[in-house]
Amino acid sequence: MTTLRRIRLPMTPEEARSLHAGDVVLLDGEIVISAGLPTHQRLLDAAREGRDPPMNITGGALLHLGSYSRDTADGGLEVLYMNPTTSTRFNALMPELIRHYRLTAVGGKGGLDAGCAQAMRDVGCVYFSVLGGGAPLHTAAIRAVKEVACHDLVAHYRLVRLGVEGMGPVTVGIDAHGNSVFASLQDNARASLPGIMEQLAGERAAAPKPGA
Amino acid sequence: MGITYEAVKALSAQLYDWSLRKVPDDTKLGLERALERESQHGAREILKMMLGSARRAEQEERFVCSDAGVPVYHVTIGTAARLDGDIKQAISDGFDELVARINPPLLKHVTNPLTNERGYKGKDMPLVTWDVAGGADWVEILCQPKALGSGRWAALETFSFPTLAQIEEYVMKVVMQAGSQHCPPVIIGVGIGGSFDVAAKIASKATMRPVGSVNSEPVLAAMEERLLRAVNATGFGPMGTGGDTTALAVHVDYASGHGYTPVAVCFNCWINRRTRARLHADGSVERFE
Repeated sequence: MTTLRRIRLPMTPEEARSLHAGDVVLLDGEIVISAGLPTHQRLLDAAREGRDPPMNITGGALLHLGSYSRDTADGGLEVLYMNPTTSTRFNALMPELIRHYRLTAVGGKGGLDAGCAQAMRDVGCVYFSVLGGGAPLHTAAIRAVKEVACHDLVAHYRLVRLGVEGMGPVTVGIDAHGNSVFASLQDNARASLPGIMEQLAGERAAAPKPGA
Repeated sequence: MGITYEAVKALSAQLYDWSLRKVPDDTKLGLERALERESQHGAREILKMMLGSARRAEQEERFVCSDAGVPVYHVTIGTAARLDGDIKQAISDGFDELVARINPPLLKHVTNPLTNERGYKGKDMPLVTWDVAGGADWVEILCQPKALGSGRWAALETFSFPTLAQIEEYVMKVVMQAGSQHCPPVIIGVGIGGSFDVAAKIASKATMRPVGSVNSEPVLAAMEERLLRAVNATGFGPMGTGGDTTALAVHVDYASGHGYTPVAVCFNCWINRRTRARLHADGSVERFE
């Protein structure tokens, strides 16, 4: 069995550029997570208005993961569970966020569009595809809950800064060279579709007929 | 003794709770079979991780997914069942009680579609559909919580006297639209005919059939087989990052209609949340999944 490459976050843009679409890696270090559109809008508003964002994310990893976070009795913070959400619903906001905050990693599930991939290429940023329905595994990788912001929002929208160890494996879905696993798969599927439909037609012709 | 408000309240809440912590056995078996066939290394790793996540959730009674979705129930009432109390209210009250006691707590996913505000309560929540079973003296409750992966990519189009080729082409169109987005490998439900609402209901019910079950109608069984092969030939793969396993099953059903023919296609993500139990006249509970 091969040992997976381990990536320490936050990465430098050069480290991000050393990864390639399709690589399967484990994550260590620091991530910031949120599953909220309003949260992303706040980050964007702060960028546009020249204010401090609710949490410092510059040069970091901002992942589309939702979590249940709460205060503990001893004044600390805990995350009871976390899991990725669909990234494409953030498509419109991500290019500006990636560029302004010089993010070196983003992620979630389902990928991001070509506009985001271009921003990632410009900045030196990769997209990590995280297993959906992997809450027990992802949660077990949490080593520290460092900071929570946007307390006025529902728990999964809050910004949560976490220390993780061995999170994953995750797949590099989009690399910093403009390659997207998601875009290539969609292109390949489109190219294969005429053949797939032809195969379906052949099998249909040989199958039992309705009403026969 | 009838089927009481209290029994329905307790069972509907329990079904929701169970569904969050256990991937159905038929679905786990489907994932294992997919792993045996899967040719791509990365896809195999993801399928193994899925099985690992399912196992761990079950052993440690954890949520498989952080998105518990919204409560969706399908209730079948036997025409000979004696109902003792407002069982519709019981399902709603059961969800409220679950929210108050469940550990770990649920995230707020019930969304007002006009404002996008989220909470635990909302108009017409839980979402319940009702059926009757002739002669039966039981009430059956099936819980299938729905979230983005299992809800967002469903689609319906109405055709006029379509050929089977057109119907299958539409199924593939919806599969292409969903692409990598719905936490594949998915369970696909296809509902053909009836009316707008009936086609959607048939598609939704089709996703509830166990993975690996064979359609009793040979025409539909053959259609399911060839559509499954076609969907998996797209190559989107587990989590949409490439592989031979984009769907674990395609289930098709139909109703006769007028000739304008709605075709509904819907999905359930790989964790395929689904629990089902019957309340009998003697007060006993028979759990199926």
